[in-house]
Amino acid sequence: MDNVTQLRPAETPKADNTDGGLKGFFHKLSKQRALVFMSVPFLIWLIVFKYLPLWGWSIAFQDYKPAKGMFDQAWVGLKHFKFLFEDEHFVRVMRNTLAMSFINLVLGFVTAITLAILLNELRKVAFKRVVQTISYLPHFISWVVASSIISTALSADGGIINDVLLWLGLIKEPILWLGEGKYFWGILGVSEVWKNVGWNTIIYLAAMTSIDPSQYEAAEIDGAGRFQRIWNITLPGIKSVVVILLIMNIGNLLETGFEPQYLLGNGMNVDYSENLDIFVLKYGIQMGNFSLSIAAGMFKTVVSFILLFTANHIAKRLGEDRLF
Amino acid sequence: MKKRRFWLSCLTIVMLASLLSACSGGKESNQPLGSTSTGGGAQEEKLDKVTFTYFNAVAGKDINTNETRIGKIIEDQTGVNFKIEHLVGDENTKVGTFIASNSYPDVLVPGGSIDKLLSAGSFIPLNDLIEEHAPNIKRVYEPYYNLMKAEDGNIYFLPMSAVVGEYISAPNIEQGAFWIQRRVLKEAGYPKIKTFDEYLSLIRDYAKKHPDEDLTGYIALTTQDQFFALTNPPMHLAGYPNDGGVIIDMETHEANDYADDEITKRYLQELNKLNADGLFDKSSFVDNRDQYIAKIASGKVLGFFDYRWQVGQAMNNLREVSLQTGNDDLEYMALPIVFDENIKDQYLDPPSFVNNRGVGISVSAKDPVRIIKYFDNLLTDENQILSNWGIEGETYSVDENGRFYRTAEQIEQTNKESFRESFGFKYFEYNWPRYGNGSSLPDGNSVGAGRQPEVAQMSYHEGDKKLLEAYGVKSFSQLFAAPDERPWYPAWSIPIEQGSPAQIFTQKKGDLQRKYFPKLVLANPAEFDKIWDEYVKEFGKLKVKDYEQLITDEVAKKIDLIQGK
Repeated sequence: MDNVTQLRPAETPKADNTDGGLKGFFHKLSKQRALVFMSVPFLIWLIVFKYLPLWGWSIAFQDYKPAKGMFDQAWVGLKHFKFLFEDEHFVRVMRNTLAMSFINLVLGFVTAITLAILLNELRKVAFKRVVQTISYLPHFISWVVASSIISTALSADGGIINDVLLWLGLIKEPILWLGEGKYFWGILGVSEVWKNVGWNTIIYLAAMTSIDPSQYEAAEIDGAGRFQRIWNITLPGIKSVVVILLIMNIGNLLETGFEPQYLLGNGMNVDYSENLDIFVLKYGIQMGNFSLSIAAGMFKTVVSFILLFTANHIAKRLGEDRLF
Repeated sequence: MKKRRFWLSCLTIVMLASLLSACSGGKESNQPLGSTSTGGGAQEEKLDKVTFTYFNAVAGKDINTNETRIGKIIEDQTGVNFKIEHLVGDENTKVGTFIASNSYPDVLVPGGSIDKLLSAGSFIPLNDLIEEHAPNIKRVYEPYYNLMKAEDGNIYFLPMSAVVGEYISAPNIEQGAFWIQRRVLKEAGYPKIKTFDEYLSLIRDYAKKHPDEDLTGYIALTTQDQFFALTNPPMHLAGYPNDGGVIIDMETHEANDYADDEITKRYLQELNKLNADGLFDKSSFVDNRDQYIAKIASGKVLGFFDYRWQVGQAMNNLREVSLQTGNDDLEYMALPIVFDENIKDQYLDPPSFVNNRGVGISVSAKDPVRIIKYFDNLLTDENQILSNWGIEGETYSVDENGRFYRTAEQIEQTNKESFRESFGFKYFEYNWPRYGNGSSLPDGNSVGAGRQPEVAQMSYHEGDKKLLEAYGVKSFSQLFAAPDERPWYPAWSIPIEQGSPAQIFTQKKGDLQRKYFPKLVLANPAEFDKIWDEYVKEFGKLKVKDYEQLITDEVAKKIDLIQGK
């Protein structure tokens, strides 16, 4: 509730200004003309790079051939949307996309926040730095290399995972990890965590440094233990960052990424690995059917829009900080 | 350790020497070659040196042509250097970005993406350029103009299979075959085998006798674009050449997609049984091409089906090892395996004109005339000898009858991958306008060194000779039946329109097979039939009839074209 009352005063002055009507508006405009002029270049940038390309959406309604001019294209209405939604694979592809996103979202948040808290609690700076650096490293490996490492580690002949499991006696014969569809989401989730957990902690660690140390001191004097301090000070301290990141990530739910699924996917796990991007690559770009790619892109944008607004609205209802 | 250091220092000296001789020798030999072969007059105009870009849609090492011996000589003739860029990753993706950005390298050598480039209008028409500037191109390609012209009558790219002179067939297997390791044949006493059952039982017997050697009985290549190496064998086993996803009836010329036919079932069922015996490498379905090549090169694999050019790297490695050790047990031999005794094998390619692969000039090229002149200059007899045989006295020799041959050292040298790269054979033998495979020169010499009988004989080592003797043949391809005439061949070169129902069918078929074939092979043998029925049911949902009809029509068209109707 505190947040809401804090925001109120910020909104009220705005309301006051509009009371003056059009005249007040122009008065203010001329008073702030320096600021207005300064923002013009960015406005132009926004229009040129973010709004003008939108007319390219019209490609989704054509049988687009790159060699022809914009006006020679054949208009086909919703044909490409129909192809996309009516394909029997569509449901499966959407399920995989959402499932993998959801797994990545949950695992990503939980592991990154946990690691950030652990790092924050470390007293030895040198050790903290070393751990941080090591955990960042995989982030800088490209997925092409990372997927080779993963598939080698999971290989049935001599892969380290199988070797360790055999040695422990947990399995009797090597498992073809990438050959079983049902393992794919798990493998992907773990790989994503391995690759990105360190990187994702950065923003939380930054948020934690902004917590006033006197709060910890006060808590310590009041007799709060370490876990109580984490629970009552650190976590609430980074709550606003978490909520904003969550909203943004929910908006990106349909963007599961493309490389790991493409590189680790094969015929045997295709039922679980094929996501929307790969589907679009196969039936859109690889076939020279750019229209289908655009149609899928539009679909993704619309869904992201809805998700983003919903998440933001829920956050607003719950009285949390939010994106807008 | 000592020995190794000795060889290393030898190598260093050889490389230094070749570097020096490359620098000095180049200067001497350019002059005469340049003056005899330019004819058209690129030289008189004293053109500035230029560098054009060239994209080849296969993986490889990027290089400037003038960094190679051959490329340098040709640069001296024409003043043109090409910066060769190879493919990294997926071809369609790469070409898709070319098209989307409408900015291309000057010269394109696409693979399967050529239709996409054509429908995007990425190539410039070459008709007038050839007419005005390229007499050699006209001489070589004119007999094939009917097949090269697009529907609008333009020629957009130059294929690489225009045969010049009398046709010479290959002495070694360059295409698909069932390969078997020589030690398996040796131990079985060089049996003459023909059927798939015989082939598999050879492998089974050998694996049974050597249980402790960690052997792999059979392996398959299934990754991404190379999936056809798993789907094509049924067609070959049934006695047809590589027509891609279809079999063309010899009488009616009707196309039949065999993906759901008995022959495919039979092949997969045999693999399934192999798997149940623990002889099939399960990782075949998850390995990428590098892992597959590494496994074959390791010498642990007893047999597999593939095309020679896909596994060339592994085969060459094994050959280098056997040349060093004198023991060829780990090398492979190609066999024309069929399902039944009464089937005639058709592994060898009929002479054919592949009209949907080639080299074209892109719309981004600023100076197409220079490029077409460069192409034209490649098509002189002299330059074809240069790019296939090399330089007389260095990479080939001529006997008193004017026959070209290679000495043992020259053969060893020209087989080495590193030499092929530095000299430029690797970049000039193929992927340019050229005399097609099997071409011959007016004096009867083969254009391709590999097809010259003298070279083939010379390049056989003791092991090869023993093997050939055991089978009573002079060259490895003599074990294979002569190809029947198929004017439409190869049917896989029939262009399919981008985004058409037929193309969507092939994509969906591929998806379905990628999903079901691993299941079928790895299933418990008792469940095989159930999964097969499921697959056939799913396959039935696809529009196979439309696709077959399209191929049938195109085959008929191609036959008419060749017969000049």
